[in-house]
Amino acid sequence: MKKIHVTYKQKNALLCLLAILIACIFLFPLYWIVVNSFKLDSEIFAGTPTLWPKEFTLKAYQDQLGNLRITMKNSILIAVGSMILSLCLSVPAAYGLARYRVKGMKLFVLVFLITQMLPASLVLTPLFLIFSKLGILNSYLAPILSTSTISIPFVVLMLRPGFLSIPVELEDAAKIDGCNGISAFFRIAIPISKPTVITAACFSFVFAWNDLAYSMTFNTKEAMRPMTSAIYTFMNQYGTKWNSIMAYGVLLILPSCLIFVTMQKYIVEGMTSGSVKG
Amino acid sequence: MGQNRRERQEQLLGYCLILPAVIYMLIFIGYPIVYNWIISFQVVTAKTLGSKVRELAGFGNYKAVFAEVTFWESLLHTFIYTAGCLVIQFSLGFIFAVFFAKKFTLSKYIRGFIVISWMLPVTVTALVFKFMFAEGNGIINTILMSLHIIRKPIGWLLNGNTAMFGLIIANSWVGIPFNMLLLTTGLNNIPGDIYEAASIDGANSIQKFMRITIPLLKPTIMSVLVLGFVLTFKVFDLVYVMTGGGPVSATEVLSTYSYKLSFQLFHFGEGAAVANVLFVCLFFVALVYLRTISRDETM
Repeated sequence: MKKIHVTYKQKNALLCLLAILIACIFLFPLYWIVVNSFKLDSEIFAGTPTLWPKEFTLKAYQDQLGNLRITMKNSILIAVGSMILSLCLSVPAAYGLARYRVKGMKLFVLVFLITQMLPASLVLTPLFLIFSKLGILNSYLAPILSTSTISIPFVVLMLRPGFLSIPVELEDAAKIDGCNGISAFFRIAIPISKPTVITAACFSFVFAWNDLAYSMTFNTKEAMRPMTSAIYTFMNQYGTKWNSIMAYGVLLILPSCLIFVTMQKYIVEGMTSGSVKG
Repeated sequence: MGQNRRERQEQLLGYCLILPAVIYMLIFIGYPIVYNWIISFQVVTAKTLGSKVRELAGFGNYKAVFAEVTFWESLLHTFIYTAGCLVIQFSLGFIFAVFFAKKFTLSKYIRGFIVISWMLPVTVTALVFKFMFAEGNGIINTILMSLHIIRKPIGWLLNGNTAMFGLIIANSWVGIPFNMLLLTTGLNNIPGDIYEAASIDGANSIQKFMRITIPLLKPTIMSVLVLGFVLTFKVFDLVYVMTGGGPVSATEVLSTYSYKLSFQLFHFGEGAAVANVLFVCLFFVALVYLRTISRDETM
């Protein structure tokens, strides 16, 4: 018996080691973004890449401060706006699809499943024409309205299983106590699913924050650009200033990383249910 | 009667909850798709952009697009790109899923952690891979040279023959954890006692994998592949940032080509026509996907 115990321990250690190795190799690009943002231009240009900055510097960040003030504000406003809009629409919809036996439910689920698969590039041209007629190009409204279409179907599909798993008896009991359908939704369903609703909020924030296609197309004026399209423009102008580009990159990946580290479990669960089907 | 009225009220409330989101999607995705078909049959240039009545082009836009070599090239590239990504991200995703399904101390933690690449902005992913694949100071060339695999630096993304490879690697970095997660869910759904029963019957681990894991995982594998196809086929950001469709048009895909026609050349009608080709391809695969998921699960 003892021998088996030891080999299990050894096997465990070996597997852990292998897993760490895989993670290190796989996550190397992430490390590369961060470490290069702290290097000097000259060090990157010198030829052989260094795994650790010879001279640790924040210069790449300082260089960008001026335009970051604008682009970061734009990114935040767009992401928060899109998050609020998509949550207001998708949380009730997910609840309705889970709780109410309405006619045409299959069709509604289908609408979300299909629209989720369709890419931005499909609707860029028509949306551009529509938005230009409405006169909302180069405003926050254009990217907010368009990026919400990414998160709404995702959040609906992601939240539905959670709402389905709440025991109906809970809401029935509340209804006997005089709650109507709407207040059962706000007083029972939402509080119980708080972690998943927060996860949904994170996803919709990140989807809008990460977007390039919509914001780049609709907001061409420099003052209205979010960070993603600003970094792209910057790359086209100063293609080899990799430390500045990576510094921008660090700031861009920061929200995703923070969210991910604090609520990894929920994110991973939500990702599976949101991208497959509810 | 009272029952009926209550039911109707319930229905009404249900619609009030569901319909706003459905209508929103129909306005901002459904309508634009229909509008896209209309544009593709019109003459839409920078001049006629704002005018109410546009000249009809008939099939002119499609004819013009189909006559371009670049269109056929980008169609081919889109398929090559998708196939390459699917092979890499599915096989590595599968290996990862099986590996992390083993129960060891860090398995769940590390599996969860590598998923982060899926959540990062594609723009940044594209930029860091562009940097790593760079000719002069790219880390990939440095590693390959120190391992004596290549003798002098390769301009991976500057060379028409290797640029597509760079794109496929970068996209797989995002796709692998995604495939892994979906396959992990499938693996977890296989009841453990089937394996136990097989062990009692004397099956070894290879037999168990081939006779139990693969057949029972088949529905998951199908949906992962089809979903992977849809998500990869629509690539835009990654190609746009990493190569911009270049060098020349070596990595031009349908979405970047459509974008170029619309927003750089201002041939909106032609851009819409190319986007519609993309739509038709996606539509058929999406139908297959919907059929596979509605067969093995109830909606």
